[in-house]
Amino acid sequence: MKLSKNFILHEADGQTMLVPTGSAGFSGLVKGNKTLGAVLGCLKSETTEEDIVKALKARFDAPEGAVERDVAKALEALRKIGAIDE
Amino acid sequence: MNGCDQENPRASSALDCSVAGLLVRITPVNEGFRDFCRDFIAGGDGREPDIEIVMTQRDIDAERLRSPGGQTGYSDRYIETLAVCRRLSEIMPSFGRFLMHGSAVAVDGKGYLFTAPSGTGKSTHARFWREMLGDRAVMVNDDKPFIGTGGGATVYGSPWRGKHRLGSNIAVPLKAVCVLGRAAENSIEEITAAEALPTLVRQIYRPDSPAMLAATLGLIDRMTESVRFYRLGCNLDPGSARVSYEMMTKEG
Repeated sequence: MKLSKNFILHEADGQTMLVPTGSAGFSGLVKGNKTLGAVLGCLKSETTEEDIVKALKARFDAPEGAVERDVAKALEALRKIGAIDE
Repeated sequence: MNGCDQENPRASSALDCSVAGLLVRITPVNEGFRDFCRDFIAGGDGREPDIEIVMTQRDIDAERLRSPGGQTGYSDRYIETLAVCRRLSEIMPSFGRFLMHGSAVAVDGKGYLFTAPSGTGKSTHARFWREMLGDRAVMVNDDKPFIGTGGGATVYGSPWRGKHRLGSNIAVPLKAVCVLGRAAENSIEEITAAEALPTLVRQIYRPDSPAMLAATLGLIDRMTESVRFYRLGCNLDPGSARVSYEMMTKEG
């Protein structure tokens, strides 16, 4: 899976934003927390859910199962707005 | 619809317009486009255009399908103005400019832009500034100004100047951008570029092309280096203009 080309990841002043192009079916703006920012960062290139979980576990200290839950939740939200090409 | 042949549109003659400091050659389908951009028609000095837009009936029909609620009740002439705006805004980032939805006023040669979702009161607030300041305030554009970022930010008038057609073919350095919101009491605060960014991104023209959108976001980042940002809560009382004017024009 990979971030759809109809969405641009923009980072400024520590903020991560996902901005849809005019032709994306979604017209809102997604502002990310650290977790979402990290997930989006992984999605810049072709990846899998397992690899994203691995990358986030290497980066953040979190209780058992929390990273898996957060990644699944973030991917579900991104799929809903058409931001992921499977 | 004007019923012209889709493959052989009944094009009017080409118009050379000066928009945001660029020479834009537009060949519209509808002759009425000349009147729409009459204040922006450039004198013919033989220069090659920076941008060339040739419209067809197919472009107008496609725009009609994209425009919210625009499928019925609007003339081809009006829809064509939207289609040209889209074509131009799509390519502008490659010239260092982007379109931002807002109402821009020039005071003493400096530009002040009010931005917010439609219906918040941008035009009303800009009118309060004009009523308060008289001849010192010149309307740059009441709906869709362009912003350029070469050597500091500049706000440019454009032919797309809102339902009251307020605006001029001028360019001034952009000093401040104010995000408007409704509030019971008038109050204003300076905010960081990061705080303003989500609103700015919602109010820009978002190109269809990912490359042009990325370029636009880069231009916004550059704009934030030279512009100050404010958040105004206003109650649509004319007194709100004094509150915003005193804060936004403060030096230092």
